[in-house]
Amino acid sequence: MAVEKSEKRSMPLPYAALVLAWLVPGAGHVYVGRLGRGVVIFVTVSALFWAGVGIGGVLTVDYYSERWWFAAEMLTGIHGLVGWYRQKAVYNRLPQMRGASLDEKLKNANLALVAPGETVARAYAGVAGLLNLLCIFDALMLSVMGVTGEQPPPRAPSGAAAAGRARP
Amino acid sequence: MIAALFYNPLPLSFETQLWLLLPLCLGVAIVYKAVRTHDLRRLPREVGFLMGYMVAGLIVLCVLVWLVVRYWP
Repeated sequence: MAVEKSEKRSMPLPYAALVLAWLVPGAGHVYVGRLGRGVVIFVTVSALFWAGVGIGGVLTVDYYSERWWFAAEMLTGIHGLVGWYRQKAVYNRLPQMRGASLDEKLKNANLALVAPGETVARAYAGVAGLLNLLCIFDALMLSVMGVTGEQPPPRAPSGAAAAGRARP
Repeated sequence: MIAALFYNPLPLSFETQLWLLLPLCLGVAIVYKAVRTHDLRRLPREVGFLMGYMVAGLIVLCVLVWLVVRYWP
């Protein structure tokens, strides 16, 4: 009975895995006991997202002009939220910037996205989000199936065992 | 300096932009294989193979598009 209770307690909660995996990329995998994968996912997704912001600048995450890319970028969780906060801070400063139109103001402040880099920057940040979606789904499925920790790799059947199985 | 890097966009040329596809492919390969692989110790090897497939696929696609643009009547 006591063993059953402890087993129940150690089962990962799907909602917790879902929220953790979204909020911090890789945290969902760490939650289900896959630390190595979680670290690899965190480093890669973070590097891709911030490389995108590095290439495109603060307006790479832009709620107003690029809604679909924005939705993809928000899948990176905390990174996307920080990017959104920084973008909002720029838009809040717009009245103090010189220029007649929005484009002119951003251009005068050197914030407007430069043409060739725009696509690459948004692709980096957006793809980071879509990859994290894959990781969120994986962490969720692992927790739903109750899989914790690393599973042993599947062994190739030995010659005798394979021959025995092949017999009618 | 670093704050400016993440604030202002980088002025990139078209040639530079193309080379930036490689790190993006590497990132995709790493995350995909980190989720899919059975043994994490084999991750670098599997990432290398997937990266090779992706780059080869992009080169084939590039040649096909070039042929269409060059010889389309």
